[in-house]
Formats: sequence, structure tokens, C-alpha cells
Amino acid sequence: MPMNLTSTAVSPGAEPALIELRGVSKRYANGTLANDDVSFSVRRGEIHAIVGENGAGKSTVMKMLYGLEQPSAGQILLDGAVAQLADPRAAIAAGIGLVPQHLKLVPSFTVAQNIVLGSEPVRGLLLDTERAILEVAALAGRFGLAVEPRARVAGLSIGEQQRVEILKALYRGARLVLMDEPSAVLTPQEAQALFGTLRKLVDGGLTVVLITHKLGEVRDVSDRFTVLRGGRVSGHGDARRVGADELTAMIVGRAVAPLQVARARRADGGALVAVRQLGVRRADGRRALDDISFDIAAGEILGIAGVEGNGQAELAAILGGLCLPGEGQASIDGLVFTGRGVRAARAAGVAAIPEDRLHDGVAADMSITDNLIAADYHKAPLSSFGWLRIDRARTLALQLIARYGVLVSSPDAAIGILSGGNMQKVVLARELLARPRFLVASQPTRGVDIGASQSLRERLVELRDGGAAVLLISSDLDEILALSDRIAVLARGRIVGHFDGGSVSAFDLGPYMTGAREQGGASALLTAPFCGAAEAGYA
Amino acid sequence: MSAAPPVAVEPSRGSAERLRLPLALAAALLAGFCITALVSREPLRAYLTLLTGALPEIDWSASGGWQVRRLVRFGSVIEDFITLSFLGLALAVPFRARQFSLGADGQMFLAALAACAVSLALGGPWYRVLPAAAGAAMLTGFAWGLIPGLLKVRYQANEIVTTLMLNLVAVQFYQWIITGYLRDRGAGYLVTPALPAAALWPNLMPHTHVTLMLLLVPAAAAAVQLLLARTTLGYEIRAVGAAPAFARQAGMPVTRAVTLSMALGGVFAGLAGLHLSNALLQRLPVDLTPGLGYDGLVVALLARSEPKSVPLAAFFYAWLRTGALAMERSTDVSREMVLVIEALIILFIVADRLVPPGLPKALRRLWHRSGAGAEAA
Repeated sequence: MPMNLTSTAVSPGAEPALIELRGVSKRYANGTLANDDVSFSVRRGEIHAIVGENGAGKSTVMKMLYGLEQPSAGQILLDGAVAQLADPRAAIAAGIGLVPQHLKLVPSFTVAQNIVLGSEPVRGLLLDTERAILEVAALAGRFGLAVEPRARVAGLSIGEQQRVEILKALYRGARLVLMDEPSAVLTPQEAQALFGTLRKLVDGGLTVVLITHKLGEVRDVSDRFTVLRGGRVSGHGDARRVGADELTAMIVGRAVAPLQVARARRADGGALVAVRQLGVRRADGRRALDDISFDIAAGEILGIAGVEGNGQAELAAILGGLCLPGEGQASIDGLVFTGRGVRAARAAGVAAIPEDRLHDGVAADMSITDNLIAADYHKAPLSSFGWLRIDRARTLALQLIARYGVLVSSPDAAIGILSGGNMQKVVLARELLARPRFLVASQPTRGVDIGASQSLRERLVELRDGGAAVLLISSDLDEILALSDRIAVLARGRIVGHFDGGSVSAFDLGPYMTGAREQGGASALLTAPFCGAAEAGYA
Repeated sequence: MSAAPPVAVEPSRGSAERLRLPLALAAALLAGFCITALVSREPLRAYLTLLTGALPEIDWSASGGWQVRRLVRFGSVIEDFITLSFLGLALAVPFRARQFSLGADGQMFLAALAACAVSLALGGPWYRVLPAAAGAAMLTGFAWGLIPGLLKVRYQANEIVTTLMLNLVAVQFYQWIITGYLRDRGAGYLVTPALPAAALWPNLMPHTHVTLMLLLVPAAAAAVQLLLARTTLGYEIRAVGAAPAFARQAGMPVTRAVTLSMALGGVFAGLAGLHLSNALLQRLPVDLTPGLGYDGLVVALLARSEPKSVPLAAFFYAWLRTGALAMERSTDVSREMVLVIEALIILFIVADRLVPPGLPKALRRLWHRSGAGAEAA
């Protein structure tokens, strides 16, 4: 095998694990510590689940196993020998295959062509198409994965395409298949079929590493599991014996130092922001949002908890005016602002902190001043009769830099040189400039250091205390719990639970986020009931 | 939680940017010299002619005193400089909105035609005919630039394709009008009648066609600079070009900025057309060579779409073209050589992102080492 082999330290008699991580850490070039002293082992012929929230370090582990990233410290052992997986080629040679979350097939090629791509059987200088088809058919038969080798991939369902990806890994001789959130793109029926297939493959001697954040997939599908939280291993064990509560505790953990925020519930006054029956479909026809209704009172923060990709991005885009809602509408003080474009929404008093700061939040090559005026440049006093008042813009920028504590020497500097925290302060300063009545804050402190996070959160609370409505969409559960007056859990595009922010813990939310529990007909209207203890009991 | 280091500002970014243009030019000129050496028996002289051929010669003799010669050649540098500056600006404006509109050629042809037709039809004193011709040229450029802009935002038609196709349409239309309607029957070839003297820009240099339009170049560059830096529309164009998703998120009228960037670029191609018809040629031949617009592309790329730099880049380029003519006339190297060097310049400038990020540092180290070595020696 083309790998560096060194002596191993395996207790005599025990069969070495197929793959083992020993004290593996990964620090990216930008300083992010994605994995910290991660150790676990995967046995031959098992389905091993790696579980954790977004940003827990699952993907980094997977990338290191597939040779896409190199560990900064620690060792990866294959069959008990230290392995250097310098690139995916080395990983493939070592018998490791990857089925990515977003399938990477050539749509215009046939199934057989996709599977043999990169290692095609040849006859002389020509591709041997017939042999490729025969080989693929034989492979599919051996592993019991039904595919039609001559079918075009473009015409296949996602589930079938995923089978093709698995076969592709097997064709290259994979003994270990890494599956990155395989059910994320599947319907429940397809997912069921996939897991049945995986079980058969494992019975046939294959080993599977399943990366997931769904409790059900751990307990029903896997043999053993390892939980990651904040880049560290926070638990591991036998998947069949672990309880859902126990697993949830390992995944969400406990708030390290919960932010103390005084909650200012106002009994008087109705809803400032009213969202009714909002729904939208993705391009492929699946529902991204379904019958979303909630209210936010003036001076209230409504937290949206949930695993990313369950409709949060669509909700933020519709409320910000970037996308048209399929059904339903949202209004401020009775004035409908959805479906009329960003500028109309902003004119109605909406502001938004976008989730992807570098892509949507700032223009990295433009100056801090240019970034600060992006929402209000067309109005007095920043412009008159089409002319920018750049003197006023610069004065304003100097004021905002001082007020928000942005660490930079000049407002003329390109915003791209700022750290994430300082950049986000600029985004927040811009969005609060027009004194919004409704702020949609998506992942406001993602990738921001603790100090800046604290000051950003204080600004949100300040805004709330000033009488604005805030929708806080965050995958940081601690943040949701610390700031929200009420919490709605979003799963599969629907609100599946409604909680009182002051009297709920991560343990209560966990089962709803992972789909283990659901509050029937839930909404987050001011009058809607909270999820009570009465509804406890597993679905 | 370990303290994460602050996000590192790429230290080499600034120096790499400063090094980029000189490096690209030096590399292109060096490669050009290597090729010249391959095809010429006296490459050094040929290359020197290329680089200095556009210079006027200043002589002193006892009989005649100071004499400046070869002014005609220098005049042609300035003539080219004027056309290329306008064309460079015409491309720089849409480039700033990240629209790769290549329609300057067609806009210029139609604008020249419009200016010529208005001059011929209107006649009268200069204060009537010249502004009318200029207005017609700029309006024509604007309109012909607006079309691909509208096609882009309405139908998502790729602007590269539409502008190239519209160039073909414009050139054919130009030839058809001149052949069929504006032809001077008295001339021995297909050409419009000569424009009346009142329609021509006042001359600045004898024996050349350098006119008062020269003064319009800095004015136009300043206007574009002002537009981009000081107006809300210019701000929108810059934001849309720098980060389209950001512009949308902020609520900017993205489609309007895209459309107007292409149309406003057309205004400056229109000025280039005006320069052709009412200053340089003074009557329009049917076989006006297409492709000048692509030289404008080189200028805009050289200037990095920075309006302040466009005249500089245009001058450099005009200089090279005139030097090329001199080289062709007085050495054994053909002017195709210059086309090769031009192409190399574009290649090297486009490839600036391929310059390895460590290169400036390595160069600095090399510099220090060779300095130390020299001292040791």
C-alpha cells in the first residue's frame, strides 16, 4: 500500500480498528480550531455515526479522512498503521470512498460512465464502453444496488443518484464509505431505502461512516456513534442502547456561561410584526417553508431555533424582500411588506443582517464608508439630486466606527481587511442606521470572537428595548436561549414547537430540532400556547 | 477557548498589486524582445525604434536654430490617444458594473455615422452644427449600448454575445447607409462627402488632425470619475460590480445599474465616433476598419477600469502603435510583431491572479540577497 507504515500499539489479540483517529486536531489557516484532540475508532463492518450540530467539526473530520485536509496534530491509523492521506487519491488508494452531501455526478453521462469516470476500462486508446457497462452491472448485482447502467444520470431521482455515488466509491475499491448527511436531500421513503441498502452493504463486509445531525439516524441506523461538540468529542457509545435524552445532552451540551439578559415582556400592545401562513417551494418543487405564522410584539425578540437548512434561509430572504413568498404575507402595523422588493421592505422599516456576511453582508473590496451607506445612500442627508454627499458619508462613518467600536484606522480602508467581528459591527451599524422597526438577524455572531459577540448581542437587546421587533435566526442554541423572549423551532420548513424563552433549556428544544418530537399545529402567534410538559413523551 | 489570532491581512496583497502592472509590462516587453530577436537581424535597433519611434526629434543647427521634426508622427500618437481614451472609458464603465460589454466598436461606428449625417444635413455655423453632431453621436452610442443592457436584465442574454452580434449589425448598417444614401458620387471610391469646415473641430497641430477634441479627453475621464465616485448611480454601479449579492441585499436597483452602465459606456464610444468623423477622417469611408473597439478593451484592461488611468493607458498604447509603424518602415520587423506584444500584455495582465502569492516576498528576498552579495563582492 502506498503509505508510510510504522509500528503500531495494538493490544495483542485485539483486531486493529479499520480506522482510528488519535488526538487529531485541525487548526485552519485563519486560526479557527475546527477539531481539538479528537479520538475515536471505527470497527470493521459497522455503521459508525458521527453526530453533532453545525460547526461541531464533523465535516472537518470527514475531510481529513478523505485527504482533503491534513491534521495539524495527531494521527490517523488505518488497519493499525499510521497513514498519511495527502490527497483524495491516497485516500481512494487506501480504500476510502466519499459520498458527498451534494452529489457530484455528470448529468449528461450515463450511470456506467459516471461510475467508471477517472478509471475507465480501455481497449487500446479507446474507452471500452461495453466492458464498463458489464462491470457496473456486475458490481450493482454483487452489492444489491439496483441501477440501470445505460440510463442518463439527469433522468434519475436523487435517491438513485446517491446509489450511483455509492457504486462509484465501491468501483474504486472502497472498504470504508464516508457518507456526508446522506438523508438531507432525500424524502423519508428514499432515506429508509438507503439505510436498508447500507445495512446490507455492511453485512457484506463494508464499513460506513455516517455523518449526521439526526437523532433517529443514530439510534435506528447505526451500530456505534461518536458525538462532536465545539470540535471536541463529547461522547460515544453503542447506538442501540443510548437514550434520546442522553444523546441530546451530548449534542447540545450545556451553556458554558449563559448570557444574562433581562427579559422585558410586555403584556400590553399587540403584534408589531405579523407573519401569516408563509410558504415557498424550492426550485425542485419541494417545500422550503410551509404554513409559517408568527407574531412579534414591539420590544420582543423571537428566536428561531433549528438545524440549518430547515427553511431559515428562505424565511430570512422573504422577510428581507429578496424573494417572493409562494403563499402568505408579512406585515408591520398592518402594512404588508413582503413580495415587493428589498427597498420597499426597508422603507416599511425592515432591516436584515444576512447569514453569509462575506457574500451578502459586505462588498469586501469597497471602503468601510461605502459599506456603511449601502442601505441609505439614496436618501437625504447622504445624497441630494443623485449626488452623493461623500463628506457627510465620511463623517457618518467616523461616528459609527466610534459608536460601534470598530477597530480600524480609517473609514477609507477596504472592509475586507477587518476581522469577522469588526466586519459584523459595520453590518449591524448599517442596518440600524435607519432605525428599523423590525430586524431579521441571521446568525448575527457566526464566526465572531467572544468579545465582539457580546457587544453585538447587547446591541440587539438595546434595539429590542427601544421598541423594535427582532427575529433572531441562529444555529447557536446558547444565543437563542440567552436572548429570545419566545422561541419557535423550525424543522422541515415548519414551526414544530413554541416555547417561552425564559423557562426552557437546550434539552427541551433538542428533540424538536432533531425531529424526535413535534407540537401539533404549532405557530408562534402571541396567543399561541407554549409547548408544555404535558406534551412530553416521545413521538 | 484558545484565543484565535486576528484574521490575518494578506501581507503581500498591497505589494503584489503595486508590482502587478510594471511586472506585466516588463514581462510582455521582454517576451516581445525575445520574439523580435528570433525574426530580426538587428533586433536591438528594431526594438529601440518600436519604443522611441513615436518621439519627435529636436535638432539644433546653426542655420535653422531649433527645429522640431517628425511632429506628424507624434501627432498620430495624439490622434490615436484621443480615440483610444474614449474607447477605454466606454469599456471601463460597464466593466465597473462587472458587465463585459464589448459593444464599443458598434457604438462607435453608428455614432460616427450619426455625427457625419447630422453634420452634412444641418450645415450652418459651428455653434449650431458641432453641438448637434456631438449630441447625435453621444445619443446614438447611448441607445446602442442600452439594447444589450435591456436584453441582459430582461432576458438574461449574455452581454458578451449580444454586444458582439450587435457590432456586426452596426458595421453592416454603417456600410449600407454610406453605400446607399450618404455616398459622394463625385469621389472615386465609396465615401461620404467631406464635412463642411464648420462641422470640424479646430485644429491644434499643423499637418496633423489633432484637434480641440484633445481637451475633451481629460474632461471625459473626469466626468466618469465624478460619476463613479460622487453620484448615487456611480455608487450603485461600483457596488453591483464589486458584490452583486450585497447590492441586492442592500436594496439597490441592480438591473437599472447594469443597464445604465452599458448605455453610459456607449456615450463615450459615441465621442470616439465623433472624433473619427468630425476630426480625424472628416469624411467617412465605407471600409472603415472594425476592431478599434478591441484596442479600447486593452486600454480598459491596462487601466484596470480606473477612469483616472485610462488616458495614461491610452497614451502608452498609442505610443506603441505609432512606434510599431516606425519599426515596420525602418527595420525588417513587421508591425504584426506589435500585435504579438499587445496580445502578450493582455495575457500577462489577465494572468495577474496567477502570479504566485509568494512572489513579491521572494523578489524582495532576492533583492536583499543580491544586494548583500554585491556588498560582499
